[in-house]
Amino acid sequence: MNYLLLSVFMMLVTIIPRILPGFLLDHITLGAKARKFLNLIPFTAMSALIFPGVLTIDERWWIGLVGALVAIGLSLIKKMPTFVVVIASVLALMGIYAIV
Amino acid sequence: MRKSEQYLKGVKVSLPVILGYLPVAIAFAVMASEVGFTPLEIIAMSTLVFAGASQIMAVGMIGTGASMLSVVVATFVLNLRHFIMGSYIMKRLGKTKTVHKITTAHGITDEAFAIISATPDHICTVPYLFGIITVTYGSWVVGTAIGAFVSVLIPAVVSDALGIALFALFISLLVPGIKKSWRLIVLVCFTALLNTVLTWLLPDNASSWAIIISCIVGALVGVFFVRDEEVAQ
Repeated sequence: MNYLLLSVFMMLVTIIPRILPGFLLDHITLGAKARKFLNLIPFTAMSALIFPGVLTIDERWWIGLVGALVAIGLSLIKKMPTFVVVIASVLALMGIYAIV
Repeated sequence: MRKSEQYLKGVKVSLPVILGYLPVAIAFAVMASEVGFTPLEIIAMSTLVFAGASQIMAVGMIGTGASMLSVVVATFVLNLRHFIMGSYIMKRLGKTKTVHKITTAHGITDEAFAIISATPDHICTVPYLFGIITVTYGSWVVGTAIGAFVSVLIPAVVSDALGIALFALFISLLVPGIKKSWRLIVLVCFTALLNTVLTWLLPDNASSWAIIISCIVGALVGVFFVRDEEVAQ
């Protein structure tokens, strides 16, 4: 497979859904329910991106679960920076891989 | 506020994403080199596509012998969520020039979206978005380049552990926004469960459909289940 050609095709199918809304929305006025729907998308999209994907990073599903629990626990702390959560989760998994 | 100040505000607010992106970018580069990408091809993909989840999915699919067409279709389906995220971002920016609509489009990512959704209306402007994009795009490409060149030096225990990085990034963007509302927590758990069931029921190559369906169904349920005041703006 030509990976450069693949990247060009992936760019096209990525940028189309990114560009369209800016032009479509000028012609549509959204109602309160539609706006609420759009405002809820961040939460549901993130959630669907995390589960069950996080359980598949290793053949042993619990490894991803432990990493996710570390990330959730740290994210619950007020004003916890994103990078601390990411690096701590990676370190936690390195610890697990070193043991098992 | 002047435009340069708005831009710098966007840069500043997204600085933490750099350290979130770097492990993810390195993880992508390591996975890509494992399936036979050259450093140039790895950097080219990050520069052109700029979609972490899709890129990681793509190299994963290539590793299992998927065809180019199936990778491109899966990328399209996975990135359809950017249509919804883009709609939200454009709605927040208000009236925008055509040139700005096109130039900002490449930078509509899950992270830019998460930052914008946590931004008050009065600082949510085009220069602010450009500031976010400079940092997110820059760190993604640079992080990938670092990963592409040092991947051979990274021990297996580190590269395996890097698999959690993208998910930890999503979790850290999601949790602060929902922890004060039990209805949002229930909705997020419902969506996660729905996606898990769908992913399990649908054939392997349809898991990106599962994400789209769960995301839309979850938000539809939320329109009726979550109280208006629990959803910002």
